[in-house]
Amino acid sequence: MTGTLTQRMDRFARHLLPLAISVVLVILSVVPVYLPGYGQIAANLVLMAVFFWSVYRPDLMAPAPVFGIGLLLDILSGMPPGMNALILVLVRSVVVTQGRVFRGKSFLVLWWGFSLVALGASLCLWLLSMGYSFVVLDPMPGVFRWALTVALFPFFAWIFVRVQNAVLQ
Amino acid sequence: MKPRTGSSVLRLAVPFKALAQRFAVLFLVLAAFGLMLLSKAETVVVERAVTTISDIAAPIMDVLSRPAASLNAAIETARDLAYLRTENERLRRENARLLAWQDAARRLADQNEALQALLDFKPDPRMNHVSARVIGDAGGAYARSMLLNAGRRDGVAKGQAVVTGDGLVGRIVAAGAWSSRVMLLTDINSRVPVTVESSRNRAILAGDNTNLPRLIFLPANAVVRPGDRIVTSGHGGIFPPGLPAGRVVAVGDSGVRIQPFVRLDRLEFVRAIGYSGVSAAIPEEGDDAEAERR
Repeated sequence: MTGTLTQRMDRFARHLLPLAISVVLVILSVVPVYLPGYGQIAANLVLMAVFFWSVYRPDLMAPAPVFGIGLLLDILSGMPPGMNALILVLVRSVVVTQGRVFRGKSFLVLWWGFSLVALGASLCLWLLSMGYSFVVLDPMPGVFRWALTVALFPFFAWIFVRVQNAVLQ
Repeated sequence: MKPRTGSSVLRLAVPFKALAQRFAVLFLVLAAFGLMLLSKAETVVVERAVTTISDIAAPIMDVLSRPAASLNAAIETARDLAYLRTENERLRRENARLLAWQDAARRLADQNEALQALLDFKPDPRMNHVSARVIGDAGGAYARSMLLNAGRRDGVAKGQAVVTGDGLVGRIVAAGAWSSRVMLLTDINSRVPVTVESSRNRAILAGDNTNLPRLIFLPANAVVRPGDRIVTSGHGGIFPPGLPAGRVVAVGDSGVRIQPFVRLDRLEFVRAIGYSGVSAAIPEEGDDAEAERR
Protein backbone atom coordinates (compact mmCIF):
# COMPACT_ATOMS: atom_id res chain seq x y z
CA MET A 1 0.00 0.00 0.00
CA THR A 2 1.60 3.22 -1.13
CA GLY A 3 0.44 6.80 -1.24
CA THR A 4 -1.52 8.99 1.10
CA LEU A 5 -4.95 8.20 2.41
CA THR A 6 -6.65 10.31 -0.26
CA GLN A 7 -4.70 8.55 -3.01
CA ARG A 8 -5.69 5.19 -1.61
CA MET A 9 -9.34 6.22 -1.36
CA ASP A 10 -9.18 7.55 -4.90
CA ARG A 11 -7.79 4.26 -6.18
CA PHE A 12 -10.36 2.32 -4.20
CA ALA A 13 -13.18 4.34 -5.74
CA ARG A 14 -11.74 3.88 -9.24
CA HIS A 15 -11.42 0.16 -8.69
CA LEU A 16 -15.07 -0.07 -7.67
CA LEU A 17 -16.13 1.37 -11.02
CA PRO A 18 -16.56 -1.89 -13.00
CA LEU A 19 -18.84 -3.23 -10.27
CA ALA A 20 -20.72 0.08 -10.02
CA ILE A 21 -21.30 0.10 -13.80
CA SER A 22 -22.56 -3.47 -13.60
CA VAL A 23 -25.07 -2.49 -10.91
CA VAL A 24 -26.27 0.46 -13.00
CA LEU A 25 -26.67 -1.87 -15.99
CA VAL A 26 -28.73 -4.24 -13.83
CA ILE A 27 -31.14 -1.43 -13.02
CA LEU A 28 -31.17 -0.12 -16.61
CA SER A 29 -32.04 -3.55 -17.92
CA VAL A 30 -35.16 -3.87 -15.75
CA VAL A 31 -36.59 -0.35 -16.14
CA PRO A 32 -39.59 -0.41 -18.51
CA VAL A 33 -38.90 0.88 -22.03
CA TYR A 34 -42.45 0.53 -23.48
CA LEU A 35 -41.28 -1.13 -26.69
CA PRO A 36 -43.67 -3.95 -27.61
CA GLY A 37 -41.97 -7.29 -27.12
CA TYR A 38 -38.67 -5.83 -26.00
CA GLY A 39 -38.98 -7.21 -22.45
CA GLN A 40 -38.47 -10.74 -23.65
CA ILE A 41 -35.52 -10.11 -25.95
CA ALA A 42 -33.83 -7.30 -23.97
CA ALA A 43 -30.06 -7.43 -24.42
CA ASN A 44 -28.13 -8.90 -21.50
CA LEU A 45 -26.17 -5.74 -20.61
CA VAL A 46 -24.87 -7.16 -17.34
CA LEU A 47 -23.27 -10.09 -19.10
CA MET A 48 -21.34 -7.65 -21.31
CA ALA A 49 -19.89 -5.81 -18.32
CA VAL A 50 -18.97 -8.99 -16.43
CA PHE A 51 -17.38 -10.47 -19.55
CA PHE A 52 -15.42 -7.35 -20.44
CA TRP A 53 -13.89 -6.79 -17.04
CA SER A 54 -13.28 -10.49 -16.44
CA VAL A 55 -11.05 -10.31 -19.50
CA TYR A 56 -9.21 -7.07 -18.73
CA ARG A 57 -9.41 -6.61 -14.97
CA PRO A 58 -10.33 -9.94 -13.32
CA ASP A 59 -8.93 -8.52 -10.06
CA LEU A 60 -11.78 -5.97 -10.05
CA MET A 61 -14.44 -8.59 -10.83
CA ALA A 62 -14.07 -10.97 -7.89
CA PRO A 63 -16.42 -13.97 -7.76
CA ALA A 64 -18.45 -12.81 -4.74
CA PRO A 65 -19.43 -9.36 -6.15
CA VAL A 66 -20.27 -11.01 -9.49
CA PHE A 67 -22.53 -13.37 -7.59
CA GLY A 68 -24.15 -10.38 -5.87
CA ILE A 69 -24.74 -8.61 -9.19
CA GLY A 70 -26.36 -11.73 -10.63
CA LEU A 71 -28.54 -12.06 -7.55
CA LEU A 72 -29.66 -8.43 -7.83
CA LEU A 73 -30.56 -9.03 -11.49
CA ASP A 74 -32.54 -12.13 -10.52
CA ILE A 75 -34.48 -10.30 -7.84
CA LEU A 76 -35.25 -7.15 -9.81
CA SER A 77 -36.25 -9.01 -12.94
CA GLY A 78 -38.39 -11.49 -11.02
CA MET A 79 -36.40 -14.57 -11.92
CA PRO A 80 -35.61 -17.36 -9.46
CA PRO A 81 -32.90 -16.01 -7.12
CA GLY A 82 -29.56 -17.63 -7.91
CA MET A 83 -30.10 -18.29 -11.62
CA ASN A 84 -28.26 -15.33 -13.12
CA ALA A 85 -25.89 -15.37 -10.14
CA LEU A 86 -24.84 -18.90 -11.06
CA ILE A 87 -24.49 -18.10 -14.76
CA LEU A 88 -22.41 -14.95 -14.17
CA VAL A 89 -20.08 -16.70 -11.70
CA LEU A 90 -19.54 -19.49 -14.25
CA VAL A 91 -18.98 -16.95 -17.05
CA ARG A 92 -16.42 -15.16 -14.91
CA SER A 93 -14.57 -18.40 -14.13
CA VAL A 94 -14.48 -19.46 -17.77
CA VAL A 95 -13.37 -16.04 -19.01
CA VAL A 96 -10.68 -15.59 -16.32
CA THR A 97 -9.11 -18.96 -17.14
CA GLN A 98 -9.24 -18.19 -20.88
CA GLY A 99 -8.30 -14.53 -20.50
CA ARG A 100 -5.00 -14.89 -22.38
CA VAL A 101 -6.91 -15.83 -25.54
CA PHE A 102 -8.47 -12.37 -25.64
CA ARG A 103 -6.00 -9.94 -24.09
CA GLY A 104 -3.95 -7.99 -26.61
CA LYS A 105 -5.83 -9.47 -29.56
CA SER A 106 -8.03 -7.61 -32.02
CA PHE A 107 -11.56 -6.62 -31.14
CA LEU A 108 -12.97 -9.23 -33.51
CA VAL A 109 -11.43 -11.98 -31.37
CA LEU A 110 -13.02 -10.46 -28.28
CA TRP A 111 -16.39 -10.19 -30.03
CA TRP A 112 -16.19 -13.78 -31.26
CA GLY A 113 -15.31 -14.92 -27.74
CA PHE A 114 -18.19 -12.94 -26.30
CA SER A 115 -20.65 -14.48 -28.75
CA LEU A 116 -19.58 -17.98 -27.66
CA VAL A 117 -19.74 -17.12 -23.96
CA ALA A 118 -23.15 -15.45 -24.41
CA LEU A 119 -24.38 -18.52 -26.29
CA GLY A 120 -23.28 -20.74 -23.42
CA ALA A 121 -24.92 -18.39 -20.92
CA SER A 122 -28.20 -18.38 -22.92
CA LEU A 123 -28.17 -22.17 -23.11
CA CYS A 124 -27.59 -22.39 -19.34
CA LEU A 125 -30.44 -19.97 -18.69
CA TRP A 126 -32.78 -21.93 -20.95
CA LEU A 127 -31.93 -25.27 -19.30
CA LEU A 128 -32.07 -23.84 -15.77
CA SER A 129 -35.42 -22.16 -16.48
CA MET A 130 -36.85 -25.44 -17.74
CA GLY A 131 -35.41 -27.34 -14.79
CA TYR A 132 -36.84 -24.79 -12.40
CA SER A 133 -40.41 -24.82 -13.69
CA PHE A 134 -40.57 -28.42 -15.06
CA VAL A 135 -41.93 -27.31 -18.42
CA VAL A 136 -40.57 -27.31 -21.94
CA LEU A 137 -39.86 -23.70 -22.94
CA ASP A 138 -39.64 -22.28 -26.42
CA PRO A 139 -35.94 -21.45 -26.92
CA MET A 140 -36.61 -18.76 -29.54
CA PRO A 141 -36.88 -15.72 -27.19
CA GLY A 142 -33.49 -16.76 -25.80
CA VAL A 143 -32.02 -17.00 -29.30
CA PHE A 144 -33.28 -13.51 -30.21
CA ARG A 145 -31.98 -12.19 -26.92
CA TRP A 146 -28.57 -13.73 -27.61
CA ALA A 147 -28.45 -12.23 -31.12
CA LEU A 148 -29.37 -8.76 -29.82
CA THR A 149 -26.84 -9.02 -26.99
CA VAL A 150 -24.04 -9.98 -29.40
CA ALA A 151 -25.08 -7.26 -31.85
CA LEU A 152 -24.99 -4.54 -29.17
CA PHE A 153 -21.71 -5.70 -27.61
CA PRO A 154 -19.40 -3.47 -29.73
CA PHE A 155 -21.27 -0.35 -28.62
CA PHE A 156 -21.05 -1.18 -24.92
CA ALA A 157 -17.47 -2.45 -25.26
CA TRP A 158 -16.58 0.94 -26.76
CA ILE A 159 -17.98 2.64 -23.65
CA PHE A 160 -16.18 0.19 -21.36
CA VAL A 161 -12.89 0.83 -23.17
CA ARG A 162 -13.36 4.61 -22.70
CA VAL A 163 -14.04 4.10 -18.99
CA GLN A 164 -11.07 1.75 -18.71
CA ASN A 165 -8.72 4.26 -20.34
CA ALA A 166 -10.04 7.27 -18.48
CA VAL A 167 -10.32 5.93 -14.97
CA LEU A 168 -8.52 2.65 -14.50
CA GLN A 169 -5.04 3.44 -15.81
CA MET B 1 17.39 -12.40 4.36
CA LYS B 2 14.19 -10.43 4.70
CA PRO B 3 13.29 -10.09 1.01
CA ARG B 4 14.01 -13.81 0.51
CA THR B 5 11.56 -14.87 3.25
CA GLY B 6 9.08 -12.40 1.84
CA SER B 7 9.27 -13.91 -1.61
CA SER B 8 9.02 -17.48 -0.35
CA VAL B 9 5.92 -16.54 1.62
CA LEU B 10 4.60 -14.99 -1.56
CA ARG B 11 5.44 -18.13 -3.51
CA LEU B 12 3.39 -20.11 -1.02
CA ALA B 13 0.64 -17.53 -0.89
CA VAL B 14 -0.08 -17.34 -4.62
CA PRO B 15 -1.23 -20.94 -5.12
CA PHE B 16 -3.02 -20.75 -1.80
CA LYS B 17 -4.91 -17.71 -2.99
CA ALA B 18 -5.79 -19.42 -6.26
CA LEU B 19 -7.01 -22.43 -4.33
CA ALA B 20 -9.09 -20.23 -2.03
CA GLN B 21 -10.62 -18.52 -5.03
CA ARG B 22 -11.44 -21.85 -6.63
CA PHE B 23 -13.19 -22.87 -3.42
CA ALA B 24 -15.00 -19.53 -3.36
CA VAL B 25 -16.35 -20.21 -6.87
CA LEU B 26 -17.42 -23.72 -5.88
CA PHE B 27 -19.12 -22.33 -2.78
CA LEU B 28 -20.92 -19.64 -4.80
CA VAL B 29 -22.13 -22.20 -7.35
CA LEU B 30 -23.52 -24.36 -4.57
CA ALA B 31 -25.06 -21.29 -2.91
CA ALA B 32 -26.79 -20.38 -6.20
CA PHE B 33 -28.27 -23.86 -6.52
CA GLY B 34 -29.29 -23.77 -2.86
CA LEU B 35 -31.04 -20.43 -3.33
CA MET B 36 -32.92 -21.69 -6.39
CA LEU B 37 -34.09 -24.78 -4.50
CA LEU B 38 -35.15 -22.71 -1.48
CA SER B 39 -37.10 -20.29 -3.67
CA LYS B 40 -38.69 -23.21 -5.57
CA ALA B 41 -39.86 -24.52 -2.19
CA GLU B 42 -41.23 -21.01 -1.47
CA THR B 43 -39.20 -20.68 1.70
CA VAL B 44 -40.37 -17.69 3.73
CA VAL B 45 -36.86 -16.41 4.47
CA VAL B 46 -35.88 -16.29 0.79
CA GLU B 47 -39.19 -14.71 -0.18
CA ARG B 48 -38.78 -12.05 2.48
CA ALA B 49 -35.18 -11.33 1.46
CA VAL B 50 -36.23 -10.99 -2.19
CA THR B 51 -39.06 -8.57 -1.39
CA THR B 52 -36.81 -6.55 0.93
CA ILE B 53 -34.20 -6.09 -1.80
CA SER B 54 -36.94 -5.14 -4.29
CA ASP B 55 -38.18 -2.59 -1.73
CA ILE B 56 -34.73 -1.05 -1.44
CA ALA B 57 -34.29 -0.81 -5.21
CA ALA B 58 -37.87 0.36 -5.86
CA PRO B 59 -37.30 4.12 -5.25
CA ILE B 60 -34.29 4.12 -7.61
CA MET B 61 -36.20 2.25 -10.30
CA ASP B 62 -39.17 4.53 -9.76
CA VAL B 63 -37.04 7.58 -10.57
CA LEU B 64 -35.26 5.91 -13.50
CA SER B 65 -38.49 4.68 -15.07
CA ARG B 66 -39.90 8.21 -15.24
CA PRO B 67 -37.88 9.54 -18.21
CA ALA B 68 -38.85 6.50 -20.29
CA ALA B 69 -42.46 6.94 -19.21
CA SER B 70 -42.43 10.66 -20.07
CA LEU B 71 -40.91 9.95 -23.48
CA ASN B 72 -43.56 7.34 -24.09
CA ALA B 73 -46.28 9.77 -23.01
CA ALA B 74 -44.87 12.46 -25.34
CA ILE B 75 -44.87 10.06 -28.30
CA GLU B 76 -48.45 9.07 -27.54
CA THR B 77 -49.53 12.69 -27.25
CA ALA B 78 -48.03 13.42 -30.66
CA ARG B 79 -49.80 10.41 -32.12
CA ASP B 80 -53.09 11.46 -30.50
CA LEU B 81 -52.77 14.98 -31.93
CA ALA B 82 -52.47 13.55 -35.41
CA TYR B 83 -55.73 11.65 -35.04
CA LEU B 84 -57.56 14.27 -32.99
CA ARG B 85 -60.45 14.85 -35.40
CA THR B 86 -61.17 11.22 -36.23
CA GLU B 87 -60.73 10.26 -32.58
CA ASN B 88 -63.15 12.99 -31.51
CA GLU B 89 -65.73 11.81 -34.03
CA ARG B 90 -65.34 8.23 -32.87
CA LEU B 91 -65.68 9.21 -29.19
CA ARG B 92 -68.83 11.25 -29.95
CA ARG B 93 -70.44 8.23 -31.55
CA GLU B 94 -69.25 5.95 -28.76
CA ASN B 95 -70.56 8.37 -26.14
CA ALA B 96 -74.04 8.33 -27.71
CA ARG B 97 -73.97 4.55 -27.73
CA LEU B 98 -72.70 4.38 -24.12
CA LEU B 99 -75.41 6.75 -22.88
CA ALA B 100 -77.96 4.23 -24.15
CA TRP B 101 -76.03 1.51 -22.33
CA GLN B 102 -75.99 3.61 -19.18
CA ASP B 103 -79.77 3.87 -19.24
CA ALA B 104 -80.01 0.14 -19.71
CA ALA B 105 -77.52 -0.47 -16.91
CA ARG B 106 -79.38 1.79 -14.48
CA ARG B 107 -82.65 0.08 -15.26
CA LEU B 108 -81.07 -3.35 -14.82
CA ALA B 109 -79.30 -2.27 -11.62
CA ASP B 110 -82.61 -1.15 -10.11
CA GLN B 111 -84.30 -4.32 -11.23
CA ASN B 112 -81.36 -6.40 -9.97
CA GLU B 113 -81.48 -4.70 -6.59
CA ALA B 114 -85.21 -5.32 -6.30
CA LEU B 115 -84.82 -8.97 -7.28
CA GLN B 116 -81.88 -9.44 -4.90
CA ALA B 117 -83.98 -7.99 -2.08
CA LEU B 118 -86.76 -10.45 -2.96
CA LEU B 119 -84.35 -13.39 -2.91
CA ASP B 120 -82.35 -12.34 0.14
CA PHE B 121 -79.27 -12.55 -2.08
CA LYS B 122 -75.78 -12.23 -0.55
CA PRO B 123 -74.06 -9.53 -2.60
CA ASP B 124 -70.47 -9.75 -3.78
CA PRO B 125 -68.06 -8.02 -1.45
CA ARG B 126 -66.96 -4.55 -2.44
CA MET B 127 -63.62 -4.26 -4.18
CA ASN B 128 -61.15 -1.63 -3.15
CA HIS B 129 -58.25 -0.81 -5.42
CA VAL B 130 -54.74 0.49 -5.08
CA SER B 131 -53.18 2.29 -8.03
CA ALA B 132 -49.53 1.69 -8.80
CA ARG B 133 -46.92 2.58 -11.38
CA VAL B 134 -45.00 -0.08 -13.27
CA ILE B 135 -41.33 0.46 -12.41
CA GLY B 136 -39.76 -2.71 -13.77
CA ASP B 137 -40.88 -5.02 -16.55
CA ALA B 138 -38.07 -7.28 -17.65
CA GLY B 139 -39.15 -10.79 -16.82
CA GLY B 140 -36.31 -12.14 -18.93
CA ALA B 141 -36.78 -14.46 -21.87
CA TYR B 142 -38.66 -17.14 -19.95
CA ALA B 143 -41.00 -15.31 -17.57
CA ARG B 144 -43.50 -12.47 -17.75
CA SER B 145 -43.73 -10.27 -14.70
CA MET B 146 -43.63 -6.63 -13.59
CA LEU B 147 -42.54 -4.72 -10.53
CA LEU B 148 -44.97 -2.14 -9.06
CA ASN B 149 -44.21 0.82 -6.81
CA ALA B 150 -46.91 -0.06 -4.26
CA GLY B 151 -46.72 -2.69 -1.56
CA ARG B 152 -48.24 -3.89 1.69
CA ARG B 153 -48.18 -0.40 3.20
CA ASP B 154 -50.46 0.75 0.38
CA GLY B 155 -52.81 -2.19 0.79
CA VAL B 156 -51.39 -4.53 -1.86
CA ALA B 157 -51.35 -8.18 -0.83
CA LYS B 158 -50.18 -11.42 -2.38
CA GLY B 159 -52.90 -13.00 -4.53
CA GLN B 160 -54.74 -9.79 -5.47
CA ALA B 161 -55.90 -9.37 -9.04
CA VAL B 162 -54.20 -6.63 -11.07
CA VAL B 163 -56.24 -4.77 -13.69
CA THR B 164 -56.33 -1.66 -15.83
CA GLY B 165 -59.42 0.05 -17.21
CA ASP B 166 -59.27 -2.39 -20.13
CA GLY B 167 -59.22 -5.63 -18.16
CA LEU B 168 -57.18 -8.18 -16.28
CA VAL B 169 -53.38 -7.91 -16.20
CA GLY B 170 -52.34 -10.63 -13.78
CA ARG B 171 -51.91 -11.42 -10.13
CA ILE B 172 -49.68 -10.21 -7.29
CA VAL B 173 -47.18 -12.98 -6.53
CA ALA B 174 -45.00 -11.16 -4.01
CA ALA B 175 -45.69 -8.04 -1.96
CA GLY B 176 -42.98 -6.12 -0.15
CA ALA B 177 -43.53 -3.07 2.01
CA TRP B 178 -43.25 -0.57 -0.87
CA SER B 179 -43.09 -2.72 -3.97
CA SER B 180 -44.78 -5.79 -5.34
CA ARG B 181 -44.45 -8.17 -8.25
CA VAL B 182 -47.20 -9.04 -10.73
CA MET B 183 -47.24 -12.27 -12.68
CA LEU B 184 -48.82 -11.47 -16.05
CA LEU B 185 -51.62 -13.51 -17.66
CA THR B 186 -49.14 -14.59 -20.29
CA ASP B 187 -46.56 -16.06 -17.90
CA ILE B 188 -46.04 -19.78 -18.21
CA ASN B 189 -47.08 -20.28 -14.58
CA SER B 190 -50.24 -18.16 -14.78
CA ARG B 191 -53.58 -20.02 -14.36
CA VAL B 192 -56.80 -18.03 -14.06
CA PRO B 193 -60.29 -19.56 -13.65
CA VAL B 194 -62.51 -18.00 -16.33
CA THR B 195 -65.86 -18.40 -18.04
CA VAL B 196 -66.80 -17.89 -21.66
CA GLU B 197 -69.22 -14.99 -21.34
CA SER B 198 -71.77 -16.07 -23.95
CA SER B 199 -72.04 -19.77 -23.07
CA ARG B 200 -71.04 -19.60 -19.36
CA ASN B 201 -68.66 -22.53 -19.91
CA ARG B 202 -65.92 -22.67 -17.32
CA ALA B 203 -62.27 -23.04 -18.24
CA ILE B 204 -58.78 -22.11 -17.12
CA LEU B 205 -56.85 -19.37 -18.86
CA ALA B 206 -53.27 -20.63 -19.00
CA GLY B 207 -50.27 -18.55 -20.02
CA ASP B 208 -47.43 -20.08 -22.02
CA ASN B 209 -45.02 -17.15 -22.42
CA THR B 210 -46.52 -16.22 -25.80
CA ASN B 211 -48.67 -13.12 -26.27
CA LEU B 212 -51.80 -15.25 -26.66
CA PRO B 213 -52.63 -17.41 -23.61
CA ARG B 214 -54.69 -20.60 -24.07
CA LEU B 215 -58.00 -21.85 -22.66
CA ILE B 216 -57.55 -25.25 -21.07
CA PHE B 217 -59.91 -27.66 -19.29
CA LEU B 218 -62.77 -26.44 -21.47
CA PRO B 219 -65.70 -28.94 -21.39
CA ALA B 220 -65.62 -31.26 -24.41
CA ASN B 221 -69.03 -30.13 -25.68
CA ALA B 222 -68.32 -26.41 -25.24
CA VAL B 223 -68.73 -24.24 -28.31
CA VAL B 224 -66.22 -21.39 -28.52
CA ARG B 225 -66.07 -18.99 -31.43
CA PRO B 226 -63.52 -16.31 -32.29
CA GLY B 227 -64.74 -13.02 -30.79
CA ASP B 228 -66.21 -14.56 -27.62
CA ARG B 229 -65.41 -12.56 -24.49
CA ILE B 230 -63.59 -14.34 -21.66
CA VAL B 231 -64.15 -13.06 -18.10
CA THR B 232 -62.88 -14.26 -14.73
CA SER B 233 -65.25 -16.72 -13.06
CA GLY B 234 -64.32 -15.99 -9.46
CA HIS B 235 -63.79 -19.69 -8.73
CA GLY B 236 -60.97 -20.37 -6.35
CA GLY B 237 -61.73 -17.13 -4.56
CA ILE B 238 -58.62 -15.28 -5.75
CA PHE B 239 -60.10 -13.10 -8.47
CA PRO B 240 -63.40 -11.22 -8.29
CA PRO B 241 -65.85 -12.61 -10.85
CA GLY B 242 -66.57 -10.78 -14.08
CA LEU B 243 -63.23 -9.07 -14.76
CA PRO B 244 -62.77 -8.97 -18.54
CA ALA B 245 -59.68 -11.01 -19.46
CA GLY B 246 -59.66 -11.20 -23.24
CA ARG B 247 -61.27 -12.20 -26.50
CA VAL B 248 -61.01 -15.51 -28.36
CA VAL B 249 -58.91 -15.00 -31.49
CA ALA B 250 -58.23 -18.52 -32.70
CA VAL B 251 -59.88 -21.91 -32.27
CA GLY B 252 -57.83 -24.69 -33.75
CA ASP B 253 -55.47 -27.58 -33.24
CA SER B 254 -53.21 -25.55 -30.99
CA GLY B 255 -56.16 -24.93 -28.66
CA VAL B 256 -58.28 -21.88 -28.02
CA ARG B 257 -56.12 -18.74 -28.05
CA ILE B 258 -57.08 -15.56 -26.20
CA GLN B 259 -55.99 -12.01 -26.98
CA PRO B 260 -55.88 -10.17 -23.62
CA PHE B 261 -57.81 -6.88 -23.58
CA VAL B 262 -54.85 -5.16 -21.96
CA ARG B 263 -51.74 -4.39 -24.02
CA LEU B 264 -49.34 -5.97 -21.59
CA ASP B 265 -46.15 -4.54 -23.06
CA ARG B 266 -47.10 -0.88 -22.70
CA LEU B 267 -48.44 -0.70 -19.17
CA GLU B 268 -47.70 2.34 -17.08
CA PHE B 269 -50.39 2.38 -14.38
CA VAL B 270 -52.30 -0.57 -12.99
CA ARG B 271 -54.66 -1.27 -10.09
CA ALA B 272 -54.46 -4.08 -7.57
CA ILE B 273 -57.91 -5.05 -6.33
CA GLY B 274 -58.87 -6.65 -3.05
CA TYR B 275 -62.18 -7.32 -1.37
CA SER B 276 -63.83 -5.16 1.30
CA GLY B 277 -67.40 -4.19 2.06
CA VAL B 278 -70.29 -4.44 -0.37
CA SER B 279 -70.09 -3.37 -4.00
CA ALA B 280 -72.38 -1.10 -5.93
CA ALA B 281 -73.42 -2.44 -9.33
CA ILE B 282 -72.52 0.77 -11.17
CA PRO B 283 -69.32 2.60 -10.23
CA GLU B 284 -69.88 6.17 -9.02
CA GLU B 285 -68.54 8.96 -11.17
CA GLY B 286 -65.03 9.90 -10.15
CA ASP B 287 -64.39 6.44 -8.73
CA ASP B 288 -61.90 5.77 -11.47
CA ALA B 289 -60.45 9.26 -11.64
CA GLU B 290 -57.84 8.53 -9.00
CA ALA B 291 -56.88 5.26 -10.60
CA GLU B 292 -56.23 6.76 -14.00
CA ARG B 293 -54.08 9.62 -12.78
CA ARG B 294 -52.45 10.31 -16.08
